[in-house]
Amino acid sequence: MRAKTVLWHVLCLAAVAVVLYPLIWLAFASVKPPSEVLSSLNLLPSRLVLDGYRQGWEGAAGIGFGTFFMNSFVVAVASVVANVLSCTLAAYAFARLRFRFSGPLFAFMIATLMLPHHVTLIPQYVIFQQAGMVNTFVPLILPKLLATEAFFVFLIVQFMRGIPRELDEAATIDGCGVYKTFWHVVLPLAKPALVTTSIFTFIWTWNDFFTQMVYLNDAEKFTVPLGLRLFVDTSSQSNFGAMFAMSALALVPIVLFFLVFQRLLVEGVSTSGLKG
Amino acid sequence: MTVLKTPPSSATAAPAPRKPRGAGRRREHQREAYVFLTPWLLGAIGLTVGPMIVSLYLSFTEYDLFTEPRWVGFENFVRMFTEDDRYLQSVKVTLLYVLVAVPMKMIVSLLVAMVLNTRAGSNGFYRSAFYAPSLLGASVAAALVWRAMFTEGGTVNELLDGIGLNTPSWVDDPSYTIWSVILLAVWQFGAPMVIFLAGLKQIPRELYEAAEVDGASPVRKFWHITLPMLSPVIFFNLVLEAIHAFQVFTPAFVIGGGRGGPADSALVYTLYLYQAGFEDFEMGYASAMAWVLLVVIAIVTAVIFRSARLWVFYGDKS
Amino acid sequence: MGAGRLRRGTAIAALAVSLAACGSQPGGAGGGGDVTISFAWWGSDGRATITKQAVELFQQKNPNIKVQTTFSAYAAYWEKVATQTAGGNPPDVMTVDTRYLSEYGERKVLLDLNEGAGKQVSLADVNPELANTGVIGGKRFAVPWAQNASSLVYDPAPYQAAGADPSQPMTWEQFRAAAEKVSAANGFQVRGVTDFGMIDSALEIWLRQRGKGMFTPDGKLGFGAAELKEYWELASRFRTTKAATEAEVTASYNTSPEQAPLGKKLTAAEFAYDSVYPGFQKANGKDLRVAPYPSDDPANTGQYRRPSMFLAVSARGKQQEASAKLVNFLINDPEAGKILGADRGLPPNLKIRAQLAGEAKGTDKVIYDYEAAIEPKLGPAPAVPPKGAGAIQKLLQRTYEEIAFGRLSVDDAVSRFMSEAQKDLQ
Repeated sequence: MRAKTVLWHVLCLAAVAVVLYPLIWLAFASVKPPSEVLSSLNLLPSRLVLDGYRQGWEGAAGIGFGTFFMNSFVVAVASVVANVLSCTLAAYAFARLRFRFSGPLFAFMIATLMLPHHVTLIPQYVIFQQAGMVNTFVPLILPKLLATEAFFVFLIVQFMRGIPRELDEAATIDGCGVYKTFWHVVLPLAKPALVTTSIFTFIWTWNDFFTQMVYLNDAEKFTVPLGLRLFVDTSSQSNFGAMFAMSALALVPIVLFFLVFQRLLVEGVSTSGLKG
Repeated sequence: MTVLKTPPSSATAAPAPRKPRGAGRRREHQREAYVFLTPWLLGAIGLTVGPMIVSLYLSFTEYDLFTEPRWVGFENFVRMFTEDDRYLQSVKVTLLYVLVAVPMKMIVSLLVAMVLNTRAGSNGFYRSAFYAPSLLGASVAAALVWRAMFTEGGTVNELLDGIGLNTPSWVDDPSYTIWSVILLAVWQFGAPMVIFLAGLKQIPRELYEAAEVDGASPVRKFWHITLPMLSPVIFFNLVLEAIHAFQVFTPAFVIGGGRGGPADSALVYTLYLYQAGFEDFEMGYASAMAWVLLVVIAIVTAVIFRSARLWVFYGDKS
Repeated sequence: MGAGRLRRGTAIAALAVSLAACGSQPGGAGGGGDVTISFAWWGSDGRATITKQAVELFQQKNPNIKVQTTFSAYAAYWEKVATQTAGGNPPDVMTVDTRYLSEYGERKVLLDLNEGAGKQVSLADVNPELANTGVIGGKRFAVPWAQNASSLVYDPAPYQAAGADPSQPMTWEQFRAAAEKVSAANGFQVRGVTDFGMIDSALEIWLRQRGKGMFTPDGKLGFGAAELKEYWELASRFRTTKAATEAEVTASYNTSPEQAPLGKKLTAAEFAYDSVYPGFQKANGKDLRVAPYPSDDPANTGQYRRPSMFLAVSARGKQQEASAKLVNFLINDPEAGKILGADRGLPPNLKIRAQLAGEAKGTDKVIYDYEAAIEPKLGPAPAVPPKGAGAIQKLLQRTYEEIAFGRLSVDDAVSRFMSEAQKDLQ
């Protein structure tokens, strides 16, 4: 039995090693001397060089990389709050309430997942441009506050549908209205969905490049993905060492975020699940 | 269990709430429903519907971004299917991607989720380690790391050489590029894995215990308990992975340096659409491509929803 | 926010050479900033730093004008500018290159600088031939901000060992033989030259050596199937004799010097603009040099004064006077010229260029010397490429890759190229 467990862990660790190898390679690339950063395919650097971190942290064009981290953090946290809030509300209506046009509206919501966003980018840009919101964080956060990411609405709908209806029916009998039922019964039980939504929103916002690139002009407002691209350009000199170093550093906040939330995720699911 | 359920009976899109159990106790909540829907409705009307209609209109025009669109009827659609070889190439590449990457990603993420669901695997370290690749996203760094793995002399190539398999650079040889794109996508399997894990956590342990009493083998348990109980989650992941796969952009963009790989070997649909819209200034044509894609995805999604009746098992119905 | 920007602005300004003694706050950012213009360019961190310094200087000298700067990497820059333009607010001042000049100019996004506000942009000190490279159909949609020239960037040591000196005139076949020797000398690990069958600027120079060009002045393809076939056969001869890189390395070709084969030390030479030579030098680590292209006609190396980048003013902006003023400043102000240096290529203003040439060191000096040496041989610049020229460049690359990987014969690739090129150019 004991040998079996050991063997099991050996296999697991082997799989982990395979999966993590590219990330380890990235970490080592960030401490390679400039002449090896791109031309050497070896895992290990010939000597340890921390210039990438020093130069990278100094940032670009006189703006420290810390500013980019701060901006990304603000955008990502605001997005998480906004997305969880709005998607939960919409999902509750779809999952639990009877109302006219619920079918067509749900179908429409799923359909919004199907159109490549490249063709809606410009009309959306025009809207924010007319509203004078370009070069602020509003175009990055407002859509989340308005639940435009149907993926999450759908996800939470699916979770909520699993919550035993007896619970809210009991609440209704006890005199709870729709709002109270939502707040006191459904919301606490949907915690795993909210945690999953938070994790995905944070990570995806943190890594999003295209939207942020289109809406942010002022370098002081740049986020991490934009900052990373400033180190590399096909038409001028690039600093790949700094890019690798800051890419590795940019992983830290999302790793921490995941580490904290993944605990909630799995525990939450298992407890609420037993009741089903 | 219960986390993720497909719409109970009507397998098409609408999540018609379940019929009330007590006679007619559940009434309609028109006003409350729309209160809850307000943010989403505002977003849908203000930020989604408008741009979608605009893009539909543009798909019937010639629009270069800077001057007024010019109505051309169905010309864009005709051109797509009759005289654009690159379009057909992008369709071919995308179909291959969808058919390979979706099942691969589903299988890998389910497998890992099952490992993580065992007692020994159930710790934060493994969970985080397997999720980690999905944290990297699509950056210049990801592209260069992948190149270092798969180019001539890269880690994977060296390993394959070691066992006597001589392969060219997976990121540069047109016969291989799409496979390195697929592998990059599959490597970032964290999202479906987390959702699978959530589903696995909720399969009642008693079911397995009962099966063990009957002397069922692990394989038998997998086929007769895990798969059926997990089918709603598999369904959910399948729908979303399929939708995303048809729209795959980032891994191909990253590996092909934005141009679709050598000899268009990794020119996926959305990448070609992007090039048409933003590099060749043919946003009308790009919009037409987008709407054709929407129709195809809608059909595929509808088929999956419909097939759900045959293979998705609903725990609360039995 | 405002205070923060002011503080940083001051810090940046203090870095500028000529501003060391300046204790006052930069004007414009504080009170009295009655005009605001936006200015966008592409490039990485180093370029952004010096460009912002030049802009700070401009704001000091023009306290009533405030300049909002933004910058991104090349590909992202164009997506952003396209979106902004479609949304009705293109940057007031933007950098443009030959590839996109027609797309924006002919669609009336750019202001004709021969008229109105544009008249204050002085081109008196710019070589007239270079100055006119931004003119389409008599309209001056852009003015060159820098000049570069095509070149062969090479590592002299292995070529000397092979008994060749690329800085001296040589024919294509002589060059090929030398490159083959270089490859052979190290067991074909490092090739003599990066394959050039897919490099549009190399094709252009080769065509010009034959009295042709990439495009005709009226926007048609400037060459026929016969020329393209000959060019690809030449490139293929380089490839099959292993003088040039094999298909896989060629496929990874990228205009960024760090990622190009020469930068990754996979070759000993590469055709590239001299303005990226410093990047190659840094990435490759060896002491590289620049030379003209090989040519079968020693009198015609096919080279010309190439505008590496333009400055243009939005025709849709409200502050055209201030915008044109910034353009004029960036091109003609000696202090600005000094700050900007040779990062984008040689300064277009010949007085500034002469001054900087005298002070140039290291890689910059190599470029100044090179351009001075080829100056007498430079031919007239071609007309601005037509709309769709960008598509031609991509087409060239992917059809040549079909040849290099042995998926298409040269003849089939040529006919595919010709038929698709017709469509791209309408």
